Amino acid sequence: MDATVGNNVKPVRRSKEDKKVIRKQLKASHTLLKHEGISTAPQPTKSLVVANGGLGNGVSREELSAALKQMGEVDKLIMHPNKPYAFVTYRSEESARKAHINLNGEKLQCGENSVTLYLSYVDSVTCEEEASVPLPEGLVLVEDFVCSEEEALLLAAIDWSSTNTDVTAQKALKHRRVKHYGFEFRYDNNNVDKDKPLSAGIPQECLLVLERCVKNQHIDIMPDQLTVNQYESGQGIPPHVDTHSAFEDTIMSLSLGAKTVMEFRHPDGRLVAVVLPERSLLVMKGESRFLWTHGITPRKFDMVPACDPQSFGDTTPDLRTSSNLTLSKRGTRTSLTFRKIRNEPCRCAFPSACDSQGAPPSPSPPPPPSLPCCHADAALLEEQYVHRVYDAIASHFSSTRHSPWPRVCHFLCSLPPGSVLADVGCGNGKYLGVNPELSAVGCDRSSALVQICAERGFQAFVSDALSVPLRAASCDACISIAVIHHFSTQERRLAAVQELVRLLKPGGRALIYVWAFEQEYNKQRSKYLKDQNKELPENHNPAENSPEESQEPQGKSSVHSSSHSEDNYRTVDNNQHVTDGKLSVHTNRTAFETKDLLVPWHLKDGKKRVEGDSGEGGKKDQQKEKSKKTSRSKATLDCNPATSPGFDSNMFSDSSLDTIAATHSSKPIPGCDTSQTCSSALKSESEIIPAPVFHRYYHVFQQGELEQLCAQQAGVTVQSSYHDQGNWCVILEKALNR
Amino acid sequence: MKLLTHNMLTSHVKGVTKGYPLLIKATEVKVNEVEFNPQFVSRMIPKLEWSALVQAADELGHRQDLPVELVPEYEKNEEFLKKVHRVLLEVEVIEGCLRCPESGREFPISRGIPNMLLNDDEV
Repeated sequence: MDATVGNNVKPVRRSKEDKKVIRKQLKASHTLLKHEGISTAPQPTKSLVVANGGLGNGVSREELSAALKQMGEVDKLIMHPNKPYAFVTYRSEESARKAHINLNGEKLQCGENSVTLYLSYVDSVTCEEEASVPLPEGLVLVEDFVCSEEEALLLAAIDWSSTNTDVTAQKALKHRRVKHYGFEFRYDNNNVDKDKPLSAGIPQECLLVLERCVKNQHIDIMPDQLTVNQYESGQGIPPHVDTHSAFEDTIMSLSLGAKTVMEFRHPDGRLVAVVLPERSLLVMKGESRFLWTHGITPRKFDMVPACDPQSFGDTTPDLRTSSNLTLSKRGTRTSLTFRKIRNEPCRCAFPSACDSQGAPPSPSPPPPPSLPCCHADAALLEEQYVHRVYDAIASHFSSTRHSPWPRVCHFLCSLPPGSVLADVGCGNGKYLGVNPELSAVGCDRSSALVQICAERGFQAFVSDALSVPLRAASCDACISIAVIHHFSTQERRLAAVQELVRLLKPGGRALIYVWAFEQEYNKQRSKYLKDQNKELPENHNPAENSPEESQEPQGKSSVHSSSHSEDNYRTVDNNQHVTDGKLSVHTNRTAFETKDLLVPWHLKDGKKRVEGDSGEGGKKDQQKEKSKKTSRSKATLDCNPATSPGFDSNMFSDSSLDTIAATHSSKPIPGCDTSQTCSSALKSESEIIPAPVFHRYYHVFQQGELEQLCAQQAGVTVQSSYHDQGNWCVILEKALNR
Repeated sequence: MKLLTHNMLTSHVKGVTKGYPLLIKATEVKVNEVEFNPQFVSRMIPKLEWSALVQAADELGHRQDLPVELVPEYEKNEEFLKKVHRVLLEVEVIEGCLRCPESGREFPISRGIPNMLLNDDEV
């Protein structure tokens, strides 16, 4: 093996074992490439496909080309966005062969990750030299509109200290910061309150910039409204059209501090991604202002043109051709958007997007659900905000539900040996094995979770808690832990209790746990409220573990936000409560403000997104099978120890075959905010795609409410009733003479 | 799905009154080795529908010589208990379906898991 390889490529002496592993993985890579429509050549050629060396795995152009150039003169290096491979064409076949010998099966260090590259010859490189996509009509980008000193002055001129919202809460929500001057833009109706100008007009420091805009003929009239947005890496803004009736035609946006990528979308489906460099001015007029939506995908990395003066192939330095891209880490960007308030109705040529001419105000984020009033609506709500969510998050959810709660265990262990137990809503089967003397069977609405039970050797089946296919009076005991609070009407919650009672033999007992509205009880805050340090604390339910010492309640979170960070359109200020029957999204780790709400679940680890990508309808099971296989096989994969740390970045291994197949037809999932991200292949260490957020519906119970529900059942007595770590709990007993 | 579980399951299709026991159509059956606990088996027997168990074991071709009726004083009859143990806890249906004897509705069993979810119109 040639010893003169690059600094970031390590040659490793191969044992027979290693060679076997490489052969195996190469075979897997061939299969995968075929899946992508790439056929590998049996004989050496000038061109190679480099599996795992793609923008889609977090490999940047610079890192890969450094390694490739070591082998000889590179004619072309093509890295399609989102693909987990690259194509390289060398000047000579000899160079290609050298690359194959030295780089095949070798690790490449890319930032914090390392990937293992697998090279194969290809006959031809499918380089889609796309025709350059023009910018949306009316859009002008002026680079270097302000110099660095001016940029610094402008950034300093913005006084964030007087913003309404609580800084810590904002940080917790990971919400972009917003400040208005001149007039306030309201996010609840996407319009401006024209009768209430703000005390602060556009800062003086901006006049210089605006005069330049007039001088350069970007505008005729001075703007009177300024919105400042500050985006940290990972933040964005959903696609929208600025409300026609609020503002005149020309809208200008100055980008300071960092560059970003803004995406423009036409109603006909065209997408144009535009890099906005620091200190550039974006001028939107006409179609680009009135018809195309614009948005910034919340990401930490963007794909931008490579600035390498030596770039190969087509040298058009923009995003519109894919052969010249690299990854760029986002910084904190502040945008100053200048607009002129419109005082008369809009008469633009784009009525379909015009609220003055009849169109609904954009952009209509999915309306928050309302509390259902009938079974059908309730079932739909639960389908979207309970069942689909659990199926998507099953694996992650299960990994956070490992410790059985002591008082539930106590109940289970108090049952006589040989008792028949039904666990209705058994989840991952946490309680099915607690008392091995019992004959326990579990059921759950989520097949993904029931699957986990089966894997653990428990007996379980898929069914709804409202209609459990067990014979009446067949159980000595039942438990229903953290289940009934997912039912969205009083009737359904009652029906769930009735079903439990039906299953019980006379004299049998049932234990029910539901989330409590009162997270503090007896001056003891539940662990849910207190624990700020846990990994992804927002995913822990109340009552995770044992109680801790009491603390004075800190009062409610100062931000009652009816939006989640992704849903940027609903920034609500402190005192506004949503009282119109709409369900609000809860801020995790704070006290509950309403009894019916949506609780966010942050899916952890980019890898797990595969499960969330399962399509709808018939294919769902098939893909879930595949995606489940992926996460399982990750654990059992017999990997070369030398490559295991880097394994996350490796697309091309046995386990990833299924992953690729599963991600090929990712569809948006209701109740899940991944709409901003593109359907990309699996990412390494998830820097590129933010973890999606799911919303689960809960009805949290007030003190006495669960007891009352049970009391409505004839022939049932409440044996005990207590508060356990943020839950209201009841043990009920079915009368002997029933 | 073990036969112990099957013994508890019933058809819950709306309007059905004779939904028990569910008929089993198995395409894949596994026999596992499960630790024999005579006390446990002994305690389970009174909670079973014996005839349904025999019928199910029959359907799977695993009945062997399980008697049609319970033998008296089975608690002390280890040989008998072993037979029951086998049928109840060791035989497992991996693939197939459960069929409602009255409506004919089939509930699939996949990877050992019965899916008993009803459609909206069957509830």
